[in-house]
Amino acid sequence: MLDESTDADPDPAPDSAPPATDGVDEADIAIRLDGLTKRYPGQSAPAVDALDLSIPRGEIVALVGPSGCGKTTTLKMINRLVEPTSGTVWIDGTDARELPAHELRRGIGYVIQQAGLFPHRKVRDNIATVPRLLGWDGDRVRDRVEELSDLLGLERDMLGRYPAALSGGQQQRVGVARALAADPPVLLMDEPYSAVDPIVRARLQDELLDLQKRVRKTIVLVTHDIDEAIKLADRIAILRVGGVLEQVGRPDDLLREPASPFVADFMGDDRGIKRLSLLTVDDVPLRPGPIVAASATPAEARQTMDRTGTDWVGVRDGDRLLGWVAADELNGTATVADAPVKPFRSVIDGGTSLKAALDRIVSSQTRVAVVVDGERYRGMLTVDDLADGIGTAGPMSGSGAR
Amino acid sequence: MTAPALLAEEFVDWGWIGDNTDTIRELLIEHVWLTAFAVGVGFAIALVLALVSVRWRWLYPPIAGLCGVLYSIPSVALFGLLIPVTGLGFVPAEIALVSYTLLILLRNIVAGLDGVPDAVREAADGMGYEGWRRMLRIDLPLAAPTIIAGLRIATVTTIGLVTVTALVGQGGFGDLINEGLSRQFSTLVVVGSVFSIALAVAFDLGFVALERAVAPWARAGRPPRAGWRERRRG
Repeated sequence: MLDESTDADPDPAPDSAPPATDGVDEADIAIRLDGLTKRYPGQSAPAVDALDLSIPRGEIVALVGPSGCGKTTTLKMINRLVEPTSGTVWIDGTDARELPAHELRRGIGYVIQQAGLFPHRKVRDNIATVPRLLGWDGDRVRDRVEELSDLLGLERDMLGRYPAALSGGQQQRVGVARALAADPPVLLMDEPYSAVDPIVRARLQDELLDLQKRVRKTIVLVTHDIDEAIKLADRIAILRVGGVLEQVGRPDDLLREPASPFVADFMGDDRGIKRLSLLTVDDVPLRPGPIVAASATPAEARQTMDRTGTDWVGVRDGDRLLGWVAADELNGTATVADAPVKPFRSVIDGGTSLKAALDRIVSSQTRVAVVVDGERYRGMLTVDDLADGIGTAGPMSGSGAR
Repeated sequence: MTAPALLAEEFVDWGWIGDNTDTIRELLIEHVWLTAFAVGVGFAIALVLALVSVRWRWLYPPIAGLCGVLYSIPSVALFGLLIPVTGLGFVPAEIALVSYTLLILLRNIVAGLDGVPDAVREAADGMGYEGWRRMLRIDLPLAAPTIIAGLRIATVTTIGLVTVTALVGQGGFGDLINEGLSRQFSTLVVVGSVFSIALAVAFDLGFVALERAVAPWARAGRPPRAGWRERRRG
């Protein structure tokens, strides 16, 4: 059976319709795929096979898998560019077949590879496509286009140009603006960044995350790039060839506990490193570190160092950490503060990724990163802490699906 | 310069032109009308055939084949076939002229529609265009440069062919050429030919301008400097 549950609790969902919702409230499900199957004529194996998947409102869900896994077919069944052979797509509890396909599609944003802008229309008119199909009046369309160009960071003079005069990255931004024009609750994105170079891709990905913070759409993203999925998605659904769902869960869950060798393989053999970039300092416990007050005596400092097995000690003044003193500098001083106190160079905060933290740790003289909250000292991280952290911790540990 | 001028004077009776501007104007109107009617009707038929061919792809080879057969029938032979049925006049002339436009127009319309990028079509469907509206607002406008190129060839060809339909009594400047040949009056042959060619060139240039006007976006991708250089060159 497919395991869709994302949390550790056994899912007590009843077997009656509606189908399982993965521990997310029924009301919070924007799209539910229910036994979705697509068979193409002349092909013995289905392209998508009895797929059940719930897509929570306001989340980015990535459909990921090798080519031939049916991820794009699945996406296109949501806006009925592909009609399912059997099964149902529920959008906000309504069968997607209830509306004529073209009306359904006007209510769903759609972004494709290479943007697919209409070459014969200026950027402004490309963005205005769906509002005009919906019959908005001219003033409303114009206001909306300007609002969107601000939202997507498009310069106003770009609005009067034809798409061919834009760079690939700009075209993709316009593609997103066009998809959002009628403010649809759902956005479908089919390999949106695969045609742009890596630097532009990374920037567009950051922009999407930033945009999502403001617009909170339900986004279904198809990609073959697992790193893109890990970076962007709240949840990842891994599909295997033949359109079979292997596992769905939060990126960190998939990295930590891949449900099958296929998922483990797909997530890559550097899953630990990937988790380091996904988790932040706040996700792991900090150690207090070898710390003494500025007024402590060298003897007290040596005691602390003996206890922690270090040859240096941190010097603290109230909430602030002044720096550190090496053991051999403490000879003949009255207090540790009289010895030469060197500042820590690897100072990070709670939002720093563990990958960045690791970098700071290995490049610091004391082999620790100091974690602060503004001026206030919070604790220290060592390589061991990171190893322990990615072994056990995660943003999800102990909490529910959210 | 005296010798060629003398020769031209013997060859072309300039005075005839001055005395017959009304005739020339009438023939011009007839020539344009025969051409416009043929290209217009041909375009309407070819558009329907093209839409059918694009929708049901398997029909394209037989449809194109049929148009190819029509295109290959020698015009004189076609008149021989038509005159017993239609008699002389406008109808057989137009049947012949329309027949010859179909292949060119069909091929260009289909090629134009085929040239619409898949991503654009998919985006249009995904935005919620109905099939007919997408054809009207996306596919055909994008195919326009290729379609206009087809109209341009078809029109120029038809202007030339109209001189042949003089054989069934509808020939525009072709009447002049025919008459000139039978009366051995070279002025009529020259005037008929020159006006026919001038008409073809005028329409040719007109379609170039139309193509630019209809598809400003087709040149949008070029960097501005190239556009400047092009203007200077042109």
